[in-house]
Amino acid sequence: MRAAATARRAPGDGTGGGRYTRYGRYGPWAAGAAAVLAAIALQSQLYVGQERVVGSVFMFIVLAQGWNLIGGFAGYASFGQVVFFGLGGYTTAVLMAHARWPYWPALAVSGLVAAAFGALIGTPLLRLRGHYFAIATLGVAEGTREVVNNLTGLTGGGAGITVPTFGARATTAYLGEDGFYLLFLALAALALATAGLVTRSRFGLALRAIHQDEDAAASMGINTTRAKVSAFALSGLLGGLAGSAYTFQLVTVYPENMFDVSITVLMVIMVVIGGSGTLLGPLLGAVALQFISEWLRQSFTEAHTFILGAIIVVVVIVMPEGAVTYLREARRGRGFSPLANIRRYRL
Amino acid sequence: MSTFFQATLNGVLQGGLFALIAVGFSLVWGVMNVVNLAHGSFVVLGAYVAWELSNHAGIDPFLGMVGSAAALFALGYLIQRGLVNLVVNAPIFITLLLTFGLDLVLVQGMNIVFTGDFQAIRTSYASRGIGLPGGVQVPLGRLLTFAVAVAVTLALVALMGRTRTGLAIMATGMDRGAARLMGIRARHVYALTFGIAAGLAGAAGAMIGTVGTFHPADAARYTLISFVIAVLGGLGNMYGALAGGVVIGLAESWAGQYLSGTWSNAVAFAVLVVVLLVRPTGLIGRAFYEARQEA
Repeated sequence: MRAAATARRAPGDGTGGGRYTRYGRYGPWAAGAAAVLAAIALQSQLYVGQERVVGSVFMFIVLAQGWNLIGGFAGYASFGQVVFFGLGGYTTAVLMAHARWPYWPALAVSGLVAAAFGALIGTPLLRLRGHYFAIATLGVAEGTREVVNNLTGLTGGGAGITVPTFGARATTAYLGEDGFYLLFLALAALALATAGLVTRSRFGLALRAIHQDEDAAASMGINTTRAKVSAFALSGLLGGLAGSAYTFQLVTVYPENMFDVSITVLMVIMVVIGGSGTLLGPLLGAVALQFISEWLRQSFTEAHTFILGAIIVVVVIVMPEGAVTYLREARRGRGFSPLANIRRYRL
Repeated sequence: MSTFFQATLNGVLQGGLFALIAVGFSLVWGVMNVVNLAHGSFVVLGAYVAWELSNHAGIDPFLGMVGSAAALFALGYLIQRGLVNLVVNAPIFITLLLTFGLDLVLVQGMNIVFTGDFQAIRTSYASRGIGLPGGVQVPLGRLLTFAVAVAVTLALVALMGRTRTGLAIMATGMDRGAARLMGIRARHVYALTFGIAAGLAGAAGAMIGTVGTFHPADAARYTLISFVIAVLGGLGNMYGALAGGVVIGLAESWAGQYLSGTWSNAVAFAVLVVVLLVRPTGLIGRAFYEARQEA
């Protein structure tokens, strides 16, 4: 692993590649459980508005971890990841509004539908590499949005669809801000646990191998198609679950906001800023970006995307491999310089 | 039948403009392996430059597009030299994110300076039409923009194939290491390529302003169209961009005529995904850049 990492640097090298950390096998799980308990304790200290912000941080942790599976571990930069989010959300809305299902089974089915869709489109699309894969997924997401937009009988089209959650026709009563905080927290914990399991499994190693050299991975006996499609489906599952919860929280959703390209872009930015192919990177990226973005929105109403854009430019140039890798190298010390990445990647 | 001819004509004319929008994007992608998500905001910025020139100096937009192109060339050169060159060897999504950040800065900057209102560059002649037999109307402004767009694209082909600068750009795109050994300054050539692409986008923006409206939020749409056309035509292939532009123009125009609702928006993406799966090198592209796709 180390030899490979020095031979060719790719994000994800030498990060959790060893199966055991020095804190032992159960250390990370204990830390995760403690974090979940801390988040539950934090809830009582928050106002309703703050609860919503922190809940959205949890949602982006789910989405970023999902993207990290296919984009970070396997190195396939999906730019249509929002399709799972939108599909999961619309599955929930349609099941609750038309089939009159309660929410919880709809949540599960939404995740499965998104995962199945991932496997279905992943099988042909994952034959494409690099930018081509990125665009093809983008095309699928945009195309799916238009299909949802035009199936007016089922989805309500551009007029949106409303989940029956208030009044006598409600199939499941609205969870309220407290309830959604806990729901998103549970999903975030699930996403982290999934990523943790993948990191330490043969499956995770197979994905890393595909990232570094797909042909070599195939010649080592890895079924690359199966590994890639599984990773894509798993990322679809997480995206679908997040979309389902988001739809339930918003009550009324429209194709434009459920299939918004900028949701995909946020996932990618969070993963890359945090550290793609690492376990903690997407977590760190989601927390940092969502809080910074919220703070900017409140402090600089007009210029906030302007400043956010400038921050992205600077961060991407200074630490293109993400904060986690950057900090690890800084801690290791020897020969570290804050601008080392520029020296590495500039022309 | 005349509606069919009208739709076909509109599609072809629109396609020429699409080609001019996309050709620079395709060039940058082909030569540097950079997907420039800020391309659409260059287009819109070019429209604003021509709009300002027309409003304050009374310069005709077909002349003003030279000003747009020059301003955007300078901006593009500086962005590549100062920012993109710093991460050009990093994995692909790094450059994607960098240009996305630039896009946010440019679009929001335009929102602050010019507000989010729809604008158009008014001329006395652009909305006039020429009648053809069979009741088909040729809008003069669209005809002119088509002619300019095709002429500029062909001029770019000539620049690439016949001048030392163009050959240096092509050589750097094929093999940067070898090009540098031949004494080509890759940093300068990359910046030049990016500047040319931005300049063409600026010119296209000025054209868009004369035949329709524009506002900062249009940037994403133009980036997306460039994406689709660049892939359809084959990366860095300028004739391909023309063909791809016309294909997309026709597809959108026909779909708009014969399909209900917003299905027409889905057509371009359906075409794209099918072409990618069947012929990933584009409609008339060869596997020219394939070897270093993953580099």
